[in-house]
Amino acid sequence: MSAVRLAAVSVLLLALASTSRLSAHIGSPDVFYEGKAGPYPLLVTIRPPDVIPGVATVEVRSLAPGVREIHLTPTPMTGEASKHPPVADIAQRSVLNANEFTGSLWLMSFGSWEVHVRVDGEQGTGEIAVPVSAVATKIKPIQPGVAYFLIGMMVFLTAGMVAIVGASVREAQLPVGAPSKSWTRSGIIGMAIAAAVLAAALWYGGKWWGDDAAAYRQKLYKPLGIKATLSNPDRLDLRLDEPGWLALRRLDDLTPDHDHLMHLFLVRWPSMDVVYHLHPDETAPGYFAILLPSLQAGHYRIYGDIVHENGLAETAAGEIDLPEITEGKPLAFDDAGGPLAVSETDSFDLGDGYRMVWLRTPGVPITAKKAYSFLFEILDPTGQPTADLEPYMGMGGHAEVIKKDGSVFAHIHPTGTVPMGSMAIASPASMLAMRETNPGPIVSFPYGMPTPGVYRIFVQLKRNSHVETGGFNVAVQ
Amino acid sequence: MATSLPIQTRARVYAPDGAAQAAGSIPWYIWLSVAGVTSAVIGVHWDISWHRSIGRDTFWTPAHIAIQLCGVIAGITCGYLILATTFTKSALRAASVNVLGFRGPLGAFLCAWGGFTMITSAPFDDWWHSAYGLDVKILSPPHVLLAVGMLAVQIGALLLVAAQMNRVPGQQARRRLENLFLYLAGMILIVLLILVLEYTHRVFLHTAICYRVIAMLTPIVLAIASRATGRRWAATIVSSIYFLFVLALLWILPLFPAQPKLGPVLHEVTQFIPAGFPLLIVVAAFLLDWIWPRISGWGEWKRAAVSGVVFLASLLAVEWPFADLLQSTVGRNAFFGSIYFDYNQSPLGYAATYRFVPFETPMEFRVGLLIALACAIVSFRLGFRTGDWLRRVRR
Repeated sequence: MSAVRLAAVSVLLLALASTSRLSAHIGSPDVFYEGKAGPYPLLVTIRPPDVIPGVATVEVRSLAPGVREIHLTPTPMTGEASKHPPVADIAQRSVLNANEFTGSLWLMSFGSWEVHVRVDGEQGTGEIAVPVSAVATKIKPIQPGVAYFLIGMMVFLTAGMVAIVGASVREAQLPVGAPSKSWTRSGIIGMAIAAAVLAAALWYGGKWWGDDAAAYRQKLYKPLGIKATLSNPDRLDLRLDEPGWLALRRLDDLTPDHDHLMHLFLVRWPSMDVVYHLHPDETAPGYFAILLPSLQAGHYRIYGDIVHENGLAETAAGEIDLPEITEGKPLAFDDAGGPLAVSETDSFDLGDGYRMVWLRTPGVPITAKKAYSFLFEILDPTGQPTADLEPYMGMGGHAEVIKKDGSVFAHIHPTGTVPMGSMAIASPASMLAMRETNPGPIVSFPYGMPTPGVYRIFVQLKRNSHVETGGFNVAVQ
Repeated sequence: MATSLPIQTRARVYAPDGAAQAAGSIPWYIWLSVAGVTSAVIGVHWDISWHRSIGRDTFWTPAHIAIQLCGVIAGITCGYLILATTFTKSALRAASVNVLGFRGPLGAFLCAWGGFTMITSAPFDDWWHSAYGLDVKILSPPHVLLAVGMLAVQIGALLLVAAQMNRVPGQQARRRLENLFLYLAGMILIVLLILVLEYTHRVFLHTAICYRVIAMLTPIVLAIASRATGRRWAATIVSSIYFLFVLALLWILPLFPAQPKLGPVLHEVTQFIPAGFPLLIVVAAFLLDWIWPRISGWGEWKRAAVSGVVFLASLLAVEWPFADLLQSTVGRNAFFGSIYFDYNQSPLGYAATYRFVPFETPMEFRVGLLIALACAIVSFRLGFRTGDWLRRVRR
């Protein structure tokens, strides 16, 4: 590959690397899951690789003592390959914290995978399968040092081979002790031929590299878009916009997640002072529609969470300018939201003396990439935790985490970031147990912010047949 | 043929091969080069077996280290040889060539070049994996760079041996160097046939493309070995080295336990999976060795044409029915090796169901064989010419 070609490819790769990471959520590829493997409560964090095939890092924190050993096994979530797991890896116990384990696993192909976490301990054996999406999100740029080394070696090796060929033609068959010849006609011809052959080989190598890079670039994850239009005057029509990714993604294979094919979030932007969690109906494969509630005019960001039947979860994103809607459809069933006066403290006023409170230690900073259990509760006018929390769409609560610069959106539950539609495919038994859970009075959301910055967390808890939505700002270091 | 001239015979303690020359023994750098080549050939087969049975690896697997050891040995050994020849009053200086102002044996320069190329491929391959994911194919740009480097080290070692062989006094010393030359040619044949391993699996042995790739790569090595050494049974020896080496791996590798660490695991694997039974090139090589002295007076192209026909016809005559045997129940044992499957090989695929790949029409097959014959003839012609050239190398 010529130096110019190598430099050009390096620049291209650097540009590609700046593409933001996108997966099931937006800008938040890590999987956080809190649940039970048999009798053992665990907080599992899976950090998928940027490239596929690649290595995922798995961190398991046991929330109770008594764990002796943890085994990790990755398998595709569906299909024949899901029935034939490789030998399990044993996670390494942390020397600093006996309840923390880490391991790494290869994810070999694109699509939806699950990591089987098997726990051996004092109470016997327990297992849980945690879904994880395996998609390539970027091409790692070549480090300048490596690029300079490769360019230098390319020049050195090319010149060296031309000189070796010249020497072989010129001197290799001279009698021992005979004076060497500096230049001969045949030597020059040999060197010219060698230079031409090497130039052709480098050109072909560069083309091959470029073709491989282009083929891989085609596989990089391309998120679904949402094209939204308003009509009639409160009907919002949505069309999933396929930008042309791998053939494995279809739009006619969506599976319900909490009984809905799509969870739609409308967030007024950039103030984030209005948020709705709605559930449009599918009118045709890839097409959805909903009658909007009365809402304030403004520019809205649209996030649509969907799950494919192979377990692959995605967030489709779009934008729309909406006029004020005064006579919209009243919120009903699982739809919720409205204008919010976001709290700068850990307490959010819900009205009528009720407050939603974020339970966290004052002064302790939140760090990016670290797994936390964010705890929330609702206090009644007397300051006592309410005991009447109800499941909201089968979960103890829902929360949306949005970064102020718009680069992160995550829809999380008390079980973590894994959509329940995916969980139902990976681990139907645990899914059943979750639905039976009565939440509260404290509801936990396991999550870790992917990057430093200012985030807003919208928390939705249901009590007395009404969904309460609270909003909190948090600066992440 | 020019008479070999003795090199400056005054032994010097600092002379890279002066002492060896004086004693008529094989210089240390030739032994090290041969060791490096052997390490790489074992490493490549080991690495392929690793991927077929365990699947997952890091840069620091024993197989990778064995491969890179070749580059390190070649780079250091020949780098030292070149520096010593250039900057000291080495006895070898009289039998050296000039490359970019440095002096040393031609083979040393090629070995060093190959060593540097192999070492260059390591960070390239490491970045390639991190940028595009783990390779699931043999042929990628960094892997080809590694293969080119490895081949350069092998050819460099061959040149070192050839030059020494052509100038060494005494028949006994020459004969030992001829043996080393034939051994290296065998190693080169093994590596070349690794490159086309995917086309020489037992399920391809009834296709023309299989014979085409064999006909491209094998004759040139056999012809070089025969012409450069002048040995009566050179081709037979070289192909026997390939045969015995691959056969040994077939019988030895499964003795070591291994478990798949990547999924899906479609075949239960409990030991290292070897390459299949070696090709029966040795039969064709024997016939070539037998016929070459009988047509020594013919023109080069005519000899190449006869050699091509003999090679392809005899290979087909033995390999075709032998493939039937490998696919039959007779072949399904540890001796013939048709019982071994990669951990992720489809249970419904051709190999697991003992079916031949049927992708060529009868016409395509016939045309393919004609192309294979043409490839064999050209390969022999190139081999004769290169072998003659090597026979005259002194430096």
